[in-house]
Amino acid sequence: MRIARDPRVLGLLGTLLLCLAWEAIGASGLGGFTWPPLSRVVAMLADPDRWDLFGRAAGATLSAALTGYALGAAAGIVLAVLTHLLPPLAPGADRLAAGMNAVPSVALAPVFLVLLPAGGTPATLSGIGVMFLVYVATASGLRAAGAAHQDLFSVLGARPAARLLRLELPAALPSISTGLRLAVPAALIGAVIGEWFGAPRGLGVLIVNGMQNFQIVLLWSAVLLAALLSLAGFLIATAVERAVHARFR
Amino acid sequence: MTAGAAIALADVTRRFPLKGSREGVLALDRVTLDVRPGEFVALLGPSGCGKSTLLRMTAGLDAPSTGTVRVGGEAPAAIAARQGFGVAFQDHALLPWLSVRDNIALPYRVAGRRVDAARVAELIALVKLTGFEEAFPRALSGGMRQRVNIARALVLEPAVLLLDEPFGALDAVTRRHMNLELQRIWTETRTTTLLVTHAVEEALFLADRVVVMTGRPGRVAQDLPVPFPRPRPVEVMREPEFHRLSDGLVAALEPEAAEP
Ligand SMILES: Nc1ncnc2c1ncn2[C@@H]1O[C@H](COP(=O)(O)OP(=O)(O)OP(=O)(O)O)[C@@H](O)[C@H]1O
Ligand SMILES: [Mg+2]
Repeated sequence: MRIARDPRVLGLLGTLLLCLAWEAIGASGLGGFTWPPLSRVVAMLADPDRWDLFGRAAGATLSAALTGYALGAAAGIVLAVLTHLLPPLAPGADRLAAGMNAVPSVALAPVFLVLLPAGGTPATLSGIGVMFLVYVATASGLRAAGAAHQDLFSVLGARPAARLLRLELPAALPSISTGLRLAVPAALIGAVIGEWFGAPRGLGVLIVNGMQNFQIVLLWSAVLLAALLSLAGFLIATAVERAVHARFR
Repeated sequence: MTAGAAIALADVTRRFPLKGSREGVLALDRVTLDVRPGEFVALLGPSGCGKSTLLRMTAGLDAPSTGTVRVGGEAPAAIAARQGFGVAFQDHALLPWLSVRDNIALPYRVAGRRVDAARVAELIALVKLTGFEEAFPRALSGGMRQRVNIARALVLEPAVLLLDEPFGALDAVTRRHMNLELQRIWTETRTTTLLVTHAVEEALFLADRVVVMTGRPGRVAQDLPVPFPRPRPVEVMREPEFHRLSDGLVAALEPEAAEP
């Protein structure tokens, strides 16, 4: 009973069920010929002849996503800190961030394709998605310090810089780490969509090629690989988030 | 206002807005209170009579609706800006991500001053937390947290000490011990101190003057000089005069205590 209630066991069970369902639907042909059984997708991913192709594609996507993640997160934190120190900027920054998030990246991509140097679109789209999430998380985190702590810093004669560094930023870390976790899938989605619109290589390129050439198994392999990358990043970010929450709350 | 008072509250009224009431809550009503330099004043009064509000206004955390608050002849904010206050409020307000040692050293860091490690260690020993230097607040009992709070208030040797029921969460034995320690520290430094407390004995044992406030709105009801010479041994609490004064203060507090 106790084992059955463990969320990890339940999660594993759910994943297994999903895989079985995928396999069954694919094998029976219920989902049409665009729904291959999972075993064929896995077989393609496991084929050493394809590793070079998948490796280069995944590497390109990962590098674009990581670049976007790092720059987007830094920009989001810096923007949130700036608006925190200069409150008159806050409504404008909020609107800018919300606006950038409201425009679908599919619509932005062609614009960036024209504006940016070749190959810059995946990382840029990735960075925009990350920046929005991290900005919102940081901005709300910077307001998380308790009133009693704020009062203490006032009585201690804290200047804004000391207050930010010793109270508000540490108090914001749990919220920032949550934002960083949620930003992991956004980084990958941004990179993949950016690659659809033109990149020399990447999982997005494989997906588009698979679609256009009707290589259904290749298409699914690239999708699965992107999902696995996202999941791995998400798990790492979850571990970091846990550690931060334990320390700073 | 007395010239040269360390803390001077003149005709202070504080009205808080309250939902559904046009005139709001009158927390303090024309309170005038002077604390001389080096004087220890204890503030007694029923719950909700505005003691914390009065202390917060002295620290510059709140402003009177009418009247003035001066500390050393200056606005409280000016004193805070040069780290002239030591405060221990009802809520211990320790930073959860800092160890005991770093919490006590925080005032140095906030002021941008070099941490005096020897002074921090001395205070840790004073509040009997040796061995817990690296512990985080969540690993401490309520009483231990409150002792860290006091150590942090004292670390910069402030000109004015503001204490809001700092021993409220402590058991009777620890509380008495802290009272003795506070008296010892205070006798050495003679820091101007304003202490809010619910305990009549604590007020009489520690203070030069006990100010009793009435219930809402808070007004000064009684201003009682404490006659016992210093240093005061614990035995003072067993003297008939101590009991007589104590009974008088309890009686002064009682009408409000009987209210719902
Ligand atoms: N920020 C605030 N907003 C609105 N009303 C407030 C605020 N702070 C205090 N009050 C009101 O002012 C009155 C006095 O509050 P205060 O906290 O000063 O009382 P106290 O004497 O410290 O009580 P206790 O002994 O329970 O700590 C209360 O009626 C309270 O409701
Ligand atoms: Mg109070």
